[in-house]
Amino acid sequence: MTDTALRAEALGKRFGRRGRWALRECGFRLPAGRVCAVVGPNGAGKSTLLALAAGLLPPTEGRLTVLGTSPAQARPRVGFVAQDKPLHPQLTVAETLRMGADLNPGRWDAAVAERVVAGGALDPEARVRTLSGGQRTRVALALALGKRPELLLLDEPMADLDPLARHELMGTLMADAAQHGTTIAMSSHVVAELEDSCDHLLLVGDGRVRLAGDIDDLRSAHRRITAEADADLGPHTVVESRTTGRQLTALIRPAGPLAGDWRTSVPSLEELVLAHLRSPGAPGLATAEAAESTGTTEAVTEESAA
Amino acid sequence: MTVLTGPVDAVATVGRPRMTRWVVRLHRPALLAWAGLFAVVAGLLIALAGPWADAAAEGWRHYDACDFNRPCSYDQTAILRYKSWYNYTTYALNVLPFLVAAWAGAALTGRELESGTARLAWTQGTSPARWLAVRLAVPALALTAGTSLLFWLHHRAWAAGRGRIDTAKTWYDTGTFHANGPTTAALALAGLAAGALAGLLLRRALPALVLGAVFMSGIWGTTQQLLPHLWPAVTRTAAKQQQLDLGAGLGVDHGMLTSTGGHLPLPACDSEAACDAAYAKAAGFYDTYHPYSHYWPLQLTTSALLLAVTGLLALACFRVLRRQVS
Repeated sequence: MTDTALRAEALGKRFGRRGRWALRECGFRLPAGRVCAVVGPNGAGKSTLLALAAGLLPPTEGRLTVLGTSPAQARPRVGFVAQDKPLHPQLTVAETLRMGADLNPGRWDAAVAERVVAGGALDPEARVRTLSGGQRTRVALALALGKRPELLLLDEPMADLDPLARHELMGTLMADAAQHGTTIAMSSHVVAELEDSCDHLLLVGDGRVRLAGDIDDLRSAHRRITAEADADLGPHTVVESRTTGRQLTALIRPAGPLAGDWRTSVPSLEELVLAHLRSPGAPGLATAEAAESTGTTEAVTEESAA
Repeated sequence: MTVLTGPVDAVATVGRPRMTRWVVRLHRPALLAWAGLFAVVAGLLIALAGPWADAAAEGWRHYDACDFNRPCSYDQTAILRYKSWYNYTTYALNVLPFLVAAWAGAALTGRELESGTARLAWTQGTSPARWLAVRLAVPALALTAGTSLLFWLHHRAWAAGRGRIDTAKTWYDTGTFHANGPTTAALALAGLAAGALAGLLLRRALPALVLGAVFMSGIWGTTQQLLPHLWPAVTRTAAKQQQLDLGAGLGVDHGMLTSTGGHLPLPACDSEAACDAAYAKAAGFYDTYHPYSHYWPLQLTTSALLLAVTGLLALACFRVLRRQVS
């Protein structure tokens, strides 16, 4: 077993020979066992990144390693739920699950799949074409969880669900991750949705990885400060700053001790994400364990040994 | 040992995904339609080969015996019944490859790529190559089995009328030639591969339906062009005064012979003087054609060519798929 679920090295994907780059020069590492939020605005490349990891698209450049091997090789061990939750409309719910069992011999866990479906009080004999969007999501999640994946990739999984179903399914996912050590990467553009359940962040903006790392590490690497308007932010990296009258508020990455007369606080995940999204020019940050370069693996080994 | 090797090896030891039954389940309407078409055409061909051919032959016997000075009675209904239903079944077998191509493009590959269910299969333990292989193999099997029986039945129905029914089609009539032999099966398989390729290229159902049929038209047209040249033809010659009866078989070429033995096309002339001048060069006439004895060689070479094309199209399908998926 590898301790890395996903590793991207200079990963790029362009659609068409002269098309737009959906992803460019992405480098990051997702340690195994994490629940990772893939966050970014619409069209940032989240879906492309997840499809690349699921082995559904060939990268245009760079390399992506999934569970220690190529995405195609890892496919039997990876679960994927696409944003539009494609299912065969002519099959019933029960048939869809039987198909999952037939296509994943030796891996399929019927009990898990049936539990996910049963939570929605779905009639097993109902045809998929008669289901609502949320019910389809449930069946799609049941297929992905039923194959007992080591890595679960979910593209906007909760968008169609009502708050109650969202809460319940998120609970199922988290319990599954905790029990089997499943790594989960799920995308969303609603940050608040992910804050409670995720411990790792991948912020994608404009086809690039802007932030990568443990959420707590990332938060503590930043400070939200309030100071006099003429304060010298000096050696620190400024992600975003705003001056209102005589007062300056900023989100910075401290590079040394902060001036004593500043009011400082650790930013929330949402503040962190929004500040980076509002300032596309701000330099990116990957914490040691989330950086793809080999020089950081020591830190990772230390952490996983601890 | 297996206990120690962990989950990766466990997958390999437990066996391969059972995909075939799901291809059959997902395409059950198409399979039922094919079974229905098969049953109807087979039933008609059995009737054509037996009672309907006999009744029509009897009708023609009466008709040919008529001397038209007296009222003449013959069973016109029987004659028309054989002729019409023979034409309908021949037509059905000739249209089949186009229907297969359109279906394969739209339903087999195009729709699954458009709706994303192909991706669902690929993330459910089935590799894309295997997904495609099963999708090509299952219909190929159903088509080969069905068309093989149908062309045999059609040949029986044709043979039952040959020499007995005056309007029976010649062996080299285009529709009859294909419906009578294995080229029907080979054309249907080529249609399957062409349609699947169209779906993989366009990734949308409706455009792939059209492109599949267009591919099939290209294959059909090219086959017609090449068919007479796939086996050495026979050439008959006649002196200038003799009649050379064209239509002894599948014609390849005919024209004038020069005194040195060269071949010239028949001249186009519209007045007697012009024609006399044009034909003055002719020392005789020639006709290059395939006699009935070339029926099987032509069937087999054409089928082999079509199967080779099918193989190339199938290979192209896998290449296109591999470029699209990692």
